[in-house]
Amino acid sequence: MWTRDEDHKLYKIEWNSLEIKRNLCVNFSMMDWYEPRDFKEWAKRLFAIRHLVLILFILSVFISELRFDWLEQALGSYLVTTNSNRPESGAIWEIGHRTITARQTLDQIVTDRQFSQREARGATTFTQMALNILPNQGVMLSSEHFRKLYLTLPQTIAHKIASPFEILRLFSDGSWVRTYLEKAGDGLKIYLLNTNNRVLRELKIPLNLIQYIERVEMALTGTLEDLPTFKNRIYSADRFFAALESLPEEDLRSVVSQPEMLLSMPGHIVRVGISDEAVSGFIELGFEIEDGTKRKVILLKGREWAVWMLRSCLEEKELELNTTSDSQSNWM
Amino acid sequence: MTHTAIIIRILRIVFYVALALTSFAALAGIGIFFVAVKDLPRVPEPLIRIIETPPTEIYAATGEKIMVIGGRESISLSRVSQHFIQAVVATEDHRFWDHHGINKVRTLKAFWITLFKPGKVQGASTITQQLSKNLFFSFKRTYMRKFRELLVALQIESQYSKREILEAYINHIPIGVGAHGIEQGARTFFGKPAFELTLAESALLAGLPKSPTRYNPYLYYDRAKKRQRVVLLRMMAVGYITKAIADNASQTELNLRPLPAGARTGSYFLDIVVKSLEERYGPEVVHHGGLKITTTLDPQLQSWAIESMQKGLTELEKMLGIYKQSNGSSGETVTHPQGALVAVETNSGAIKALVGGRNYSETEYNRAVQNKRLPGSGFKPFLYYTALEKLGINPATVFIDQAVTIPVIGAEDWSPRNFGLKHEGPMVLKRALMKSVNSIAAQLVENTGPEEVIRTAHRCGIKSHLEPVYSVAMGTSGVSPLEMASSFATFATGGVRHETFWISRVEDALGRVLEEHIVSGGRSLDASFVYQVVDMMRGVLDEGTGSIVRRLGFDLPAAGKTGTTDGYYDAWFTGFTPTLSTSVWVGYDRGEGLWDTRGMGITGGHGAAPIWADFMIKATDGEPPREFAIPSVIRFEKIDPITGYKANDSTLNPLRIALREGQKVYENILGDEELNGSTNVVPSWSP
Repeated sequence: MWTRDEDHKLYKIEWNSLEIKRNLCVNFSMMDWYEPRDFKEWAKRLFAIRHLVLILFILSVFISELRFDWLEQALGSYLVTTNSNRPESGAIWEIGHRTITARQTLDQIVTDRQFSQREARGATTFTQMALNILPNQGVMLSSEHFRKLYLTLPQTIAHKIASPFEILRLFSDGSWVRTYLEKAGDGLKIYLLNTNNRVLRELKIPLNLIQYIERVEMALTGTLEDLPTFKNRIYSADRFFAALESLPEEDLRSVVSQPEMLLSMPGHIVRVGISDEAVSGFIELGFEIEDGTKRKVILLKGREWAVWMLRSCLEEKELELNTTSDSQSNWM
Repeated sequence: MTHTAIIIRILRIVFYVALALTSFAALAGIGIFFVAVKDLPRVPEPLIRIIETPPTEIYAATGEKIMVIGGRESISLSRVSQHFIQAVVATEDHRFWDHHGINKVRTLKAFWITLFKPGKVQGASTITQQLSKNLFFSFKRTYMRKFRELLVALQIESQYSKREILEAYINHIPIGVGAHGIEQGARTFFGKPAFELTLAESALLAGLPKSPTRYNPYLYYDRAKKRQRVVLLRMMAVGYITKAIADNASQTELNLRPLPAGARTGSYFLDIVVKSLEERYGPEVVHHGGLKITTTLDPQLQSWAIESMQKGLTELEKMLGIYKQSNGSSGETVTHPQGALVAVETNSGAIKALVGGRNYSETEYNRAVQNKRLPGSGFKPFLYYTALEKLGINPATVFIDQAVTIPVIGAEDWSPRNFGLKHEGPMVLKRALMKSVNSIAAQLVENTGPEEVIRTAHRCGIKSHLEPVYSVAMGTSGVSPLEMASSFATFATGGVRHETFWISRVEDALGRVLEEHIVSGGRSLDASFVYQVVDMMRGVLDEGTGSIVRRLGFDLPAAGKTGTTDGYYDAWFTGFTPTLSTSVWVGYDRGEGLWDTRGMGITGGHGAAPIWADFMIKATDGEPPREFAIPSVIRFEKIDPITGYKANDSTLNPLRIALREGQKVYENILGDEELNGSTNVVPSWSP
């Protein structure tokens, strides 16, 4: 066997020497590459099993990748496993998120609108309906529904909103199909609409009228005590009408302008209240009517001067009554 | 050491260096992979579902769908023409059915070209990669973006079948003219569902996603046909069709569906609709909420409005000599005049047609709404109404057309000049409006005060800020054509003002009503004074500055007013019938007056009125003549237009005027001779 010294000169190793054998072992482990001397040596080295296996391995990796796309599949499969942990980012997700936001916004708008509509449609009185209308949230009612609410109002108030003849005309000619109500400032605007949403008639109800209607509607199902403006001056019906009769005949209508309306009410009047407030030359009178077990109050307006006269009469009578009772108690 | 040994030693070194580099690259690749994976977007499941968003649909008043915003309606692959599928695969990625998200050979080739052939770019994206890019990534070109796009493509390939991928792709590609996905594309371009597409149609559509604008067949038909040919050749090369079939398809004439001319995607009218909806509900709701919007637009009127505007501007350019300049060899860029037209339904305020410029694709600036231009004499009806209401005068009141100088506190005296720089002496008020005499208008505003005129304009519907100066009566504060049409509609209805609107109903995707417009009008002007102004404005059309309208053949009862500003920067005509009020403006966007080839300025009567007439003739075609409502307090008299005396048999060109109850005209008790001898006897008005 051949080996090299430090100067790369070749020496023949003697196999029979143990010392050399030891040296050989040491030198072999540190042996550097050397040029094959002949073709046979070249071929031997090139087609060494180790080389062939390596080359075949590399080739098989490349070919199998080209043929079976295993690298792509492996990466793809790995990414599938991490998919659920990754963020919902990118153009299509943004569109998706915007769609969800848009749906939520729309649902909110529709829910608010439907709530308003439902509340207004469920209202049994005009005030209930008016109070349920939110600012910037109008309510659409059928003409039939509005007509029913209109009819719940006392005639005097209903007249203030719209003439019943006009309502009758619009209702009978069939052009009025819907009613739109919306808040306008402090008051309410009512549009009577035809099928093309054209306004046939626009009604404006100021805040004070709504408040008045509210009180009337409240009074209709309550007692005089429910109305704070009457609590200081509540008289029995006997006393009230006795005082009324003491007024000159021509002034009676200035106090009670529509006695026929009171007459038309079922039940009988038990008490009458006089309001503490005078508005535009009128003072409100509340007539509490007992009908079986129910009590209700009818509101009418009397001219301020006439009601003052009546109040004086009532107060005089009260004074007389007190004096009589005082003298009786002294006598006793 | 031998020579071979040295080479082998070098090769060894190279091998180890390469090995080290490869190992390093592999390690770096793994590192980059994990970095890229970290915030890689999640792929939705199922893939097609996220593409589906409800479209917001905009309808004309006639019920015709005029625009679809956003919205993706996906269809299954089985409902798409096989021709289209083959055309897309052949053109975009012919190895689609074989690869796993990446075409390695093409990618290496593209990579080589990118590295070693600077300036050249070769695409190698597969359909899956394109889908990945379209769904998740921006169009910013970076290597990292490309790598991440590839990773997502690999995941999509692992997660979904080829059919699912192709289905998502064809439902997502932009086809052009606002259409996304093949179903929308097929319906937009050919008015048929995707499964009915022929080979020729499929080849055309499959070629569009490369550049929907560049190959838009409506604009560049020849270019689109060339692209179609490329697609057909690709299909032939891949083996889907034979040469004969390709040639046959290539020669087939395409039957493109005409786009609605009036309100195609991106018109001026739709711009204001979308903008107002965005202000009300927010952009997200409008673009992704699936609203159903009914507008007031009449597509037929809109189409005529565009047609009339185009025709009018062409005529105007001829007058301006632009036609010759364009054909000349000067090579200079020619600025074209612009125009705007708005037509409003008088008894509701609904906008029926709106044109904001000569061509939306050239400029999106909406001159019908955003452009506040000086209306000139077009503003005089507001002055005349104010004068009738405040000064106790009537259309027969005589004024002297003479040089007028009005002192202005703290500023120079105001001396308005007449259009023709001439003065005609005495004339009745109606004639003064018909002839648009500035000196008489100046006398009126001096007595009413500009504030009153402004108040009247605002009562009619003008919303722009108006400067409280005398000249405001002659239109020296800017207003838009929309305001002019809307405010003149108040005259048409006898003084009842309707708020202008363009959306009549909004519903959500489930048909739940979000809002409805309520047509409500309120009286803002006195009907009898309004009628007197309308009657005077009728004179403008019949015998005054707008008489060209009659000469062009518009013969229905109508009233209007021309307007021209100093320097001929703006030419207006606003007029109305009892049902339709239309305003037309023409002029340059900035800095140029309208001067014809002879150096004469172009007035509202010549520049804008012909467009108005052309439009109104079509818009009212077949309509029976309808008179303006005459209030019961109005009666008519015939008078002498110079003296204001009641006309008799000898009066030349008597003028009919409308008088209110209590207003009188006088007999000429002096006789014609004396009257003709001196104008001093004319009972002219003085404050």
